[in-house]
Amino acid sequence: MIPMDTLWTWIAAFLTLAIFSFLYKDNPFYKFAEHLFVGVSAAYTLVIVYYNSFVPNLIVPLFREHNYWFIIPGLLGLLFFARFIPNLGYLILFPIAFTIGGYAGLSIGPGLQARLLKQLQGSMLHPADFADPGLLINKLIVLIGILGTMLYFYFSKEHKGVLKVATNIGIWFIMVGFGAAFGYTVMARASLLIGRVQFLLTDWLHLIR
Amino acid sequence: MRRRLPLLICLFSGLFFTIQFFIPHQEVRRLYADGLRWLIVVATFAVVLATGSLINHHIRKLRRRDKDWSYSLVTLLALLGMGIAGFSTGTRPGTLFNKLFLNVQVPMQSTMFGILAFYIASASYRAFRARSKEATLLLLAAFLLMLSAVSFMSYYFPHITTLSEWLLMVPNLAAQRGILFGVFLGTLATSIKIILGIERGWMGGGR
Amino acid sequence: MNEFFVRLSKIDRRYIFLLVAVSVIVPLLFPFHYPTRVTRHTQAVFDIVDQIPPVSNPILISFEYGPSTMPECHPMAYAILRHAFSRRVRVIGITLSADATGLGEQALSDVAREYGREYGKDYVYLGYKPGVSAVMLSIGEDIKKTFPRDFYGQPTSGIPMLTEVHNYSQIPLVIPLTGSQTATSWLIYAGARYHARVADGVTAVMASELYAFLQTKQLSGLLAGLKGAAEYERLVQQAGYTKNEGKATRGMDALSTMHLVIITFIILGNIGFFLSRRSAKKGERP
Repeated sequence: MIPMDTLWTWIAAFLTLAIFSFLYKDNPFYKFAEHLFVGVSAAYTLVIVYYNSFVPNLIVPLFREHNYWFIIPGLLGLLFFARFIPNLGYLILFPIAFTIGGYAGLSIGPGLQARLLKQLQGSMLHPADFADPGLLINKLIVLIGILGTMLYFYFSKEHKGVLKVATNIGIWFIMVGFGAAFGYTVMARASLLIGRVQFLLTDWLHLIR
Repeated sequence: MRRRLPLLICLFSGLFFTIQFFIPHQEVRRLYADGLRWLIVVATFAVVLATGSLINHHIRKLRRRDKDWSYSLVTLLALLGMGIAGFSTGTRPGTLFNKLFLNVQVPMQSTMFGILAFYIASASYRAFRARSKEATLLLLAAFLLMLSAVSFMSYYFPHITTLSEWLLMVPNLAAQRGILFGVFLGTLATSIKIILGIERGWMGGGR
Repeated sequence: MNEFFVRLSKIDRRYIFLLVAVSVIVPLLFPFHYPTRVTRHTQAVFDIVDQIPPVSNPILISFEYGPSTMPECHPMAYAILRHAFSRRVRVIGITLSADATGLGEQALSDVAREYGREYGKDYVYLGYKPGVSAVMLSIGEDIKKTFPRDFYGQPTSGIPMLTEVHNYSQIPLVIPLTGSQTATSWLIYAGARYHARVADGVTAVMASELYAFLQTKQLSGLLAGLKGAAEYERLVQQAGYTKNEGKATRGMDALSTMHLVIITFIILGNIGFFLSRRSAKKGERP
C-alpha cells in the first residue's frame, strides 16, 4: 500500500514534469496540466474568499450582529452578477463606480504624501550634505539623474539644444536603471527554477537530504 | 440616468475618500472606517465575478465544441472538484482541499513561472546585444548586478558588492525616482479625472 | 573562428535549456557552500526584529506571494519566523492575496511547531481579505473589525494576544512578503497615513524600484529575492537562533552557477554579433 504522502508527492512531480515538457514542445500533457491548473486555482480563490471574507465580513455582521447597514454593500456586490442577465447588464456600473471612485479617492492623500512630497524631500540638497563630499556628489548625481529622466519623458517639446543634452543624460540613467532591473529579473527567474528543481531532487527523488 | 447615477456614485465616493484624509473628526473617521469595510465586501463579490466569467467562457466553448473543447471540460471538472473539496472539508491543513492546493496548484503554478528561467537564458543569448552605447551601458549594469549575486564573487571581491550597491542607490535610484514621479503625476491626474467624471473608460462604450 | 561564433549564436534553444538545467541541478547535488555576503539593508531588517522585546507587541507579516513567487518569498517567511519565534516575538499573519493563504498558514504552523509556540498566545493567523489598500487602511483604524474572525473561524475579539492590539500603533514592524506593487502600497497607505514601520521582503524583480524608498527611510529595510532570503538565513544561523541551513542558502550555489552561465551566454552571443558585423562591413568594402 503506497502511503498517501508519497502519492501526493508523485502527483506533484508528474504535474511539474508535465509543465516542464512544454520546453521541448507543446503537447497534450502540458495542455491537460494547464487547464487543470486554471480550474483548481479558480475554485481555490472562490473557497478562500467565501470562508475568509464573505462569511466574516458580510454574513456575520448582517445576520449575527444585525448590522443592517451591510445590506448596502451586499446589494452593490450582487449587482456585479447583473452582467449575466440580458437587459440588466448596465447595473454592474453601480458597484464599479463605488469601487473605482473609492480607490481613486483613497490613493490621492497618501500618494501625495508618500510618492511625491517625501520623495521630493529625499531628492533635495540639505545644508548638512555639504559637510560630506562623497554624499554631496552622490546626491548631485541623483538630482541630475532625476531631472534628466523626467525631461526624457517630456514630449510636448522637441528634444533639441539644451533639452537634447538633458534628455541624453536622462537616457544614460534610464539605461542603468533598466540594466539593474534586468540583472535582478535574471535572479528572480533563476530562483523560481531552482525552487522547482529543489522540490524534484529533495521531496520526490530524495537525492538531496 | 443609467450613466448619470454611476457617475454621481463615483463622484461622491471619490470625494468622500479624498476629503476624509484631511479631516480628523471622529464622526468622519467612523464613516471612513465603515466605508473601507464596505469596499472590502464589494471587492469580495468582484473576485467571485472573475470565477463566474471563467465558468461562462468554458461552458460556451463546450457548447460550441470549439477547438480543444475537451480541455475546457478538464477545467470545469477541476473547478467543480476543488470547489466540492473546499466547501465540504473546509480549508484547514490536512483537508483534501489543502492537499490539492499544495500538491496540484502549487507545483503547477510554480513550474509555469520556473520555465521563464529557460526563456530568459535563451533571450539573453540570442537577443541581448550591445548594439549601441546605451545598450552597452544597460548590459554593463546588468553584468555588475548579476556578478554581485554570485556568492563567491561578492565574498572574495567585495568591491563588486560595493559598486553594485552604489549603482542601485545612486544612478538606479535617480532613474526609478524620475519614473516614479512621472507615474504618480499621471495616476493623480487620472484619479481626479475619474472622480470628476471626465475619464469614463471604466463605463464601457458610449458617452 | 568567425564562422564558429556565428554558428554558435544560431544554436537550437533546446541546447541552451539543457545547459541551464545542468547548471542548476549539478550545484544542488554537489554544493560548494560558498558564503553569502550580507548587505546592509538585510542587516537592517534583522536588527529591527532583534530589538523587539519578547512577549510584547507583535510584528505583522503579510504573506502576499503565491506559488509563482514562492521560491523567493517562502524562505524569507521561514527565516523571519524562526528569528521571531526563537526570541518569543509575537507574530500576526495576514494575507492580501488568495493564493498566499495556504502558504502563509504552512509557514506559520511549521515554524511554530519547530519552536513549540502556541496559537493565540505567540502567533495568530487572520487569513485573507480582498481589497488590498482598503485592508491596509482599515487595519490602521481597527484590525479586529477588519478581521472579525481568524483563518480558523475563531472570533478575533476572543484571541488573547490580540486583546491589546487595535491598529498599527501597537505593531512595531510590518513585513510584507510580496512579488507585486503591494510592496509600495504598504509604504503609502500604512506608512504615510498611520506611520507604521515597514520593511519589505520582495522578489528580485521588485527590488530595484524600492531603493528610492530606502533612501528616504520610508522603508526601514529590504530583503531582495533569493539572495536576500539567504542573507537573512545566514544572520539567523550566525546568531544561534537556528541550526537549520535554509532552502535559500542551499539554492545560492545553483543561483551563482546559473548567473555565470547566463553571463557567459551574453558574452558569447555578443562576440558572435560583433564578428558577424565586422565580416559584413568587410564584405561591403570594395
